[in-house]
Amino acid sequence: MSAAHRLNFFVKLAGATLVMALAWAAPGPYWSALAAGLVIAGLAVTRTPGLRAYLKGALILVALVVASWLLNLSIQGMALGEALPIAIRMAARLVATTGAFFFVMETSTPGAIMAAASAARLPAMATLALSLTFGLVPMLREEFERIADAQRARGLEIDRAPIHVKLRYALARGVPLLVQAVRMAHAISVSFATSGFDPSVKRTTWRRVGLFVDDRIPEDK
Amino acid sequence: MLVLDSLTVGFGAPEPAVADVSFRLAPGEAAVICGAGGAGKSTLLAAAGGIVPRLVRAQEFSGEIRLGGRLMREWPTPELFSAVGFVFQNLDDQLWNLSVEDMIAFPLENRRTPRDEVRREVSKVIDRFGIRRLAGRQALTLSGGERRMVALAAAFAAEPDLLVLDEPTTGLDPQARGRLASALGEARAARPGCTMLIAEQDAASLAQVTERALFLAGGRLVGQTSISDAARNNEIWRTAGVIAPGEALRRRRPGAVGPTRLAVSGLRSSLVRPGGAPVLQDVSFALSAGEIVGLVGANGAGKTTLFQTLLGLLKAAAGSVALDDADAASWSPAQRARRIGYLPQNMRRVLFNMTVLEEVVFAMATDTRRVADPVIRAEALAALEPYGLADKAEVNPFALSAREQGLLGLACVEAGGCAVAILDEPLIARDRAGRALLGRFLDASEAQGRAVILISHDLELVDDVCARAMVLADGRLAFDGPTGAVWDSGAFEALGWPKPYAQEARAA
Repeated sequence: MSAAHRLNFFVKLAGATLVMALAWAAPGPYWSALAAGLVIAGLAVTRTPGLRAYLKGALILVALVVASWLLNLSIQGMALGEALPIAIRMAARLVATTGAFFFVMETSTPGAIMAAASAARLPAMATLALSLTFGLVPMLREEFERIADAQRARGLEIDRAPIHVKLRYALARGVPLLVQAVRMAHAISVSFATSGFDPSVKRTTWRRVGLFVDDRIPEDK
Repeated sequence: MLVLDSLTVGFGAPEPAVADVSFRLAPGEAAVICGAGGAGKSTLLAAAGGIVPRLVRAQEFSGEIRLGGRLMREWPTPELFSAVGFVFQNLDDQLWNLSVEDMIAFPLENRRTPRDEVRREVSKVIDRFGIRRLAGRQALTLSGGERRMVALAAAFAAEPDLLVLDEPTTGLDPQARGRLASALGEARAARPGCTMLIAEQDAASLAQVTERALFLAGGRLVGQTSISDAARNNEIWRTAGVIAPGEALRRRRPGAVGPTRLAVSGLRSSLVRPGGAPVLQDVSFALSAGEIVGLVGANGAGKTTLFQTLLGLLKAAAGSVALDDADAASWSPAQRARRIGYLPQNMRRVLFNMTVLEEVVFAMATDTRRVADPVIRAEALAALEPYGLADKAEVNPFALSAREQGLLGLACVEAGGCAVAILDEPLIARDRAGRALLGRFLDASEAQGRAVILISHDLELVDDVCARAMVLADGRLAFDGPTGAVWDSGAFEALGWPKPYAQEARAA
């Protein structure tokens, strides 16, 4: 794990918020695009997990945003040459924002968040809510992919279906995903209780927390 | 000390899951609960560990449970779960997405243990359980066996007065089971006052660390004896519907009896190991119609990668896969899946329809909308019947027990008429009724000309039902031949596992 991944969760969160503010305050489309480019370069340099999937999503986002803004502005009577920089600026802002928070999400483990929140003296319930929110996202994403693999492994033609059929299958995954999410939340709450978690008691942490947060205990020599 | 007095627990079914159970465990005593799937073992453990009715409500709950002389219901929740360590059978939910260190430290952190002490304890437990190589990894990236060792380490780190383990050897290869038994032994020696209650069908693997065996059938305690006496009393195991340690239920089907259904040649996976070597290398074999072949190998040998590559879920870097003489190279995973039925150890991983009936209809027609077709519907119900699931046709598959989900998987493969079935560690085969249902599935496969690959760490099961066995070691097929010869092969010896029925042979 790189040093950037081990940064304190709140430092990452503050950094992502700053990047978002800069991207939205940038004076023109080129500056916004530069911010988006720098964020993507940052994701690549820090070897953020899931970058390829993020880039696919970001491409779709850019296409949708540019298309919808061009349509909207043309309906309002704006020339294409005038509308294009505005659409690009909006898409670049969104890519910079989502990219920055994608980094926070992908590189912050629930344990590291719990440790940072405990060190920041947040109430135990807030600590739990933060770490569960960030911790469940990768689990639900894995679950979504698992259901797709299960559909494939049971004979559902996802890979070679037309886009509208793929979309229908993806939406159909929502129902089992919801069932699993509810079941998962219940199971995690039972697991917390059986581990002696008490929301009224402030927890300790094995991690050393500062600008960086420990990700492992060194082996005794 | 743990005392159960006339405990009855029910969840709304006509018969309670646990009925009038009483027993007493002294401080430091370890008991194993044996019983067939659905006998009430997990419910009994959940009640003994305080989960039922405190965290999971039961419609019917009577009798008394005392832990350390104090009534269970009088324990404050955090205090109770500081005194009880629990490891569930299904660990996917228990470990969610924490790192190995987080999982082990979690109960200690909840008790406000100072940081340096937590680090010392975590480090000690990591070494005791031999999981140093897993340090720093997230639960989602661990294999099933690795997760189980981590969960056990976490339960022990909390230094509980009562440790409750639900089927702890599930998914562990024989060597890992040995490590588990050693770790339990060491942990008991380090904490002699810790009482242990373990539900386990493979009681023999934990015989060294348990003193008593309790037998459960239909929710009732049908016998209890010392572990040493239990080993000599096959009748008590039969009464509980469990296969006795060393009891052979041999019914090997004939070898190659029909045309080739699956041919794999020079298969190399695109997935690589941390050192850069492919997970699978030069794997070649063929399966004939009606053939039942056992596949054994240590955790991490490449078994999962093998079937994922066969199914097309992972890309092959080289080699070919042919189904019924047709090259499957250009086939999508869905096209392959119509010929290859796959049953994972955890069936939840392949269920996605909203009712049991829809699952079978999907297996038959790959379209759940066909459930409205009366002919398809009748055929699907008929497919559920032999596995005792017809009356659960409208139930959500996630609401079924793990055993019922396993049976649903068999019904789906049979109804789908696949050319090849891959059974990954069928846990239903660990009791007599489940073994009979697996036997029924294998008979049907033989009759329908289906080839079956049985992946299992249960060597007695492989020895009993497979005429041919393969050993996968470090991604290569190290042995492929008659089951009678595999146990004396160099490939099997290299695994360092005991031969099936070895203890009984020594005793004889």
